[in-house]
Amino acid sequence: MNRGTGGGFIAIGFSLLFFTFLFGPLIIMVITAFNSSSFPRITPWECFTTDWFGVLFGNDRLMTGLLNSLVIAIGVVAIAVPIGLAGALALSELGPKLRATLYTVLITPILIPGVVLGISTIVFWGALGRSVGADYGTFFYNGMFLTLAGQVTFISAYAMLVFLARLQRFDPLLTEAALDLGATPGQAFRKILLPFLGPAIGSAAFLTFLASFENYNTTVFTILSGNTFTTALASKVRHGTDPSLSALAVIIIGITLIGAIVHEAYARRQAAIRSGTAQRSRIYGNPVLKTLVHPLTVFAILAGAAGFAAWQGSQYDSNACEAQILEEKRAIQQQLLEEQRKRMQEQRQQQTAPTTAPETPGQASPSPFGGAFKPGTLSPGSDAEPSGDAPKSNSPFGGAFKPGALGPSGEPAQETPKNGSGFGSAFKPGSLKPE
Amino acid sequence: MGALQSVYRTFAGKHGTGTAAFIGIAVLFWVICLIVLPQIAMLDYSFRYNLPASEIGGPNDVYTLDNYVYFFRGNDGTINTLDMGILVRTLAAAVFVTIIDVLLCYPIAFILAHSATGVAARLMVIGLIVPFWVNEILRAFAFRVLFGSTGLINGVGMSLGLWDQPIDFIRADVALYSGLTYAYILLMVFPIFNAVEALDRNQIEAARDMGASWWRVHWRVVLPVAKPGIASGSTMVFMLTAGALAAPQILGGPSSLWFTQLIYQWFNQSANWQRGSAYAVLLLIVCISFVMMLMRVFKVSIGEIGR
Amino acid sequence: MATKDIVLDHVSIRFGNYTAVDNAHLVIKGGEFFSFLGPSGCGKTTLLRCISGFNDPTEGRVLIGTQDMKGIGPNKRPTALIFQNLALFPLMSVAENIAFPLEVRGVGRKDRRKRADELLDMIALPGVGDKKVHELSGGQRQRVAIARALAVEPDILLLDEPLSALDLKLRHHMRTELRAIQQRVGLTFIYITHDQGEALTMSDRVAVMNKGVIEQVDHPETIYNRPKTSFVASFVGESNAISGKVATQSGKLVEVETPLGRLKGIAAGGRTYKTGDECYMFIRPEQLVLAENHENAITAQWIKEEFEGNARHMFLEAGDVQLRLSKVNSGQSQETPSGGTVPLGFAAEQAMVLPHGELAGA
Repeated sequence: MNRGTGGGFIAIGFSLLFFTFLFGPLIIMVITAFNSSSFPRITPWECFTTDWFGVLFGNDRLMTGLLNSLVIAIGVVAIAVPIGLAGALALSELGPKLRATLYTVLITPILIPGVVLGISTIVFWGALGRSVGADYGTFFYNGMFLTLAGQVTFISAYAMLVFLARLQRFDPLLTEAALDLGATPGQAFRKILLPFLGPAIGSAAFLTFLASFENYNTTVFTILSGNTFTTALASKVRHGTDPSLSALAVIIIGITLIGAIVHEAYARRQAAIRSGTAQRSRIYGNPVLKTLVHPLTVFAILAGAAGFAAWQGSQYDSNACEAQILEEKRAIQQQLLEEQRKRMQEQRQQQTAPTTAPETPGQASPSPFGGAFKPGTLSPGSDAEPSGDAPKSNSPFGGAFKPGALGPSGEPAQETPKNGSGFGSAFKPGSLKPE
Repeated sequence: MGALQSVYRTFAGKHGTGTAAFIGIAVLFWVICLIVLPQIAMLDYSFRYNLPASEIGGPNDVYTLDNYVYFFRGNDGTINTLDMGILVRTLAAAVFVTIIDVLLCYPIAFILAHSATGVAARLMVIGLIVPFWVNEILRAFAFRVLFGSTGLINGVGMSLGLWDQPIDFIRADVALYSGLTYAYILLMVFPIFNAVEALDRNQIEAARDMGASWWRVHWRVVLPVAKPGIASGSTMVFMLTAGALAAPQILGGPSSLWFTQLIYQWFNQSANWQRGSAYAVLLLIVCISFVMMLMRVFKVSIGEIGR
Repeated sequence: MATKDIVLDHVSIRFGNYTAVDNAHLVIKGGEFFSFLGPSGCGKTTLLRCISGFNDPTEGRVLIGTQDMKGIGPNKRPTALIFQNLALFPLMSVAENIAFPLEVRGVGRKDRRKRADELLDMIALPGVGDKKVHELSGGQRQRVAIARALAVEPDILLLDEPLSALDLKLRHHMRTELRAIQQRVGLTFIYITHDQGEALTMSDRVAVMNKGVIEQVDHPETIYNRPKTSFVASFVGESNAISGKVATQSGKLVEVETPLGRLKGIAAGGRTYKTGDECYMFIRPEQLVLAENHENAITAQWIKEEFEGNARHMFLEAGDVQLRLSKVNSGQSQETPSGGTVPLGFAAEQAMVLPHGELAGA
């Protein structure tokens, strides 16, 4: 490295910042999965818990979505990879002018916004279904089919790009050599070009699977009333978050990391074998180390470690700690209620016309309205009081329940507009947790 | 047709009739049934009235400009500043996010291509890819955890006494812009990396040798080579950001709507598919014209996208 | 071995407006080592691809034996092509590469392996069958490519500059080896090259091509000593070219009016000239001598001298004409001029007079 080419401390510092930006949010999310607090956060730390994993697996909607997603993803791989291959082969053989045109056409689905693709897919197949007189039971109106069609449209282009990159390194003389040596064109394709594309088929399949599994923008339209994993996840995030999503992130990131490490072990092994230095290398020459760095061994070790962690986690019981935290919260709550009641009474004495009915929330700690008094809403630094906000609201309850009125409380403020109801925060699952 | 036939014959001669038939059928199916016809169907749909199912195909099912007029005039004939404002703001925000991504990714792509070596380079590549194997929704969720009022940033900021009231990053769209910047970073890094990697190191060293300053080397030698990559990455990031739905839904403040959310509402809340289609067509046309215009300005062709 | 002749019957190959091969008309005899020699872009590779079946002639016919090859694909012709980059299949082992022609013809695995081993023995590379192609050296790959081409015993082996990627020593070695293999298997070899050394050393006959036109087909010695066109004279070997106009001709002897005075030469190929015809006079550098009062006497200005191991080259200038004089290095130090004017001469016998035409490298 030298400064002239952008190396040196600036480069290292910038890289560190960049990767902090990439990984920071993920790491924080992972940590929140183990905090017993009902909203995903690190501060304040309450109890180490693994309960959120249980909550995650208990979510039926996510689990059905997962099944749908897998079925769709497999279907997409089966269709998009061959289509992408065909597109890449077509491009590699066309004259420059036709090639540019076709390339533009085939690449546009990547650039078209996903929502547009989703809409056009349901509109088109719906219109087609109507014109052939199909009724609503047929595949024209089936969310799974439509999702498949919509996703294949643009995911095929991803596969195509993978194949194009590989084809660029193919020497077309090899095909000619095969023909010259007596192979039929079909044989030349199967025995020369297809084996050459082999690794690309693997990466294209992986990429298309991931793209299908992750897709939201198109799927949210084409799945109609159904759910895939991602749409179920999105609606869960939009309608109230709890750390079970962080738990999910832990699982996905875990799988990803294992996959990346195993792939790296595989790639290094291949490189060592290909370069013929395997015997001489310190690691690959040693029989013990060689077995240890074999991709399968690596996978077995990592999977074993993950399994052990999961088992340990499932044995862990955080109830004692949580009960204590709950107790503390109750105490604070009680104290605050007392203070509030006192203040209310003072107010009543000062004002002749009572404008609020603070007793209701006061007695209602176990009731659904308790949400207004969630620990978060009364977190330190809060100087806003229900009465103080009362003038802004028309309803006697409004002051207490209006998001943001209680100052620092963040969660209700985010949820409320989406729910469209001032009571949204009160009905959040997390807020009822003490029961 | 003649051209198609001759193309088919070339294929059959080179890869065999079976392969040629497969290529022909697959590509035609893709282009016609998946790409072209659905867009035409959506365009057609956008010019129709929202009728109950029984009236479709009936005498009332005629073409209309109504759905487009609505975008400009609203229901009461006044100018529809709300929807137009949302479109303009979406585009402006997408441009902003794209620029931030270029500024972030150009140095990283250059470092990856020319400064990092061996293990460091491999780690960087893995580090770039791994976060993008995590579901898009979860990535957005991570930003919500980070920027929420009880999130880490507010927690740390307040406990350090930097500010005493939690800052509403969500309402200020900070979370949204960060999330969008994050979401498509990979699509910016790799095109620039591919372009910059082709640059011969000797050119940089020669320029340095001739006394060019550090920034001048980049401006005169590296940047021209990186330009197609930047254009390619910017196009993708811009289109995907403008067309993003998940991140705005999850990270968007209560007062800010993304244009895609508007489309979503026409479909799922108002059940007015026709108007939703019209809005989708508008989004598509505006985005594509915008990109085309920029490509002309920067003299890049669409053929370089995705390389 | 009864091998078939290849007949190029007025073959022209055009791509749009561009004529790659213009009216090639010749017969390559069975069992012959035949070379096409020409600068890059002269159409020799196009012609080769036409013989092997990758493109059809726009006009004319290609016959192998008596059979017209029109419409017969490369996989059905009795030809095997050795590509410039060899085009060995990188994902297959050496044996698999060699046995590929057998594999596609449905020969069983065991028989394939047996034949591959036989061929490896023939090219003197026994035991490398299980290696990967990239583990071989350049020369070994070369031989594997030949073995692969010979696996199904074609009638004709076509070679497209197969030695160009090798270093000098190996290239010289492979020339001998190729010639030896050709004589052992008795096949027709058609060899494409821009390297006259290769063409002249290995071939039975050479066709010199320029811009799609076959300028001359002859034995290597005749090509060198008796070129038929200005291009051949200037392309094959070094030549001093002096442009001028024919003054008189009596029999073979031609007198040419040149900027260096009136010079005498031989009308190449027994051609007859009219007075005033534009022509070139070609004198090989080794035919030019340092002498006074020669039958063709020139005075030239000394410019510089270069030493090239086996020879010494003197560069001179007479008027606008650049001249070059070469002397074999006999090992003894010689008295050579190193400046000023130098008297030169050459025998009329050794000066070829050819009609004005394009010069190679001009």
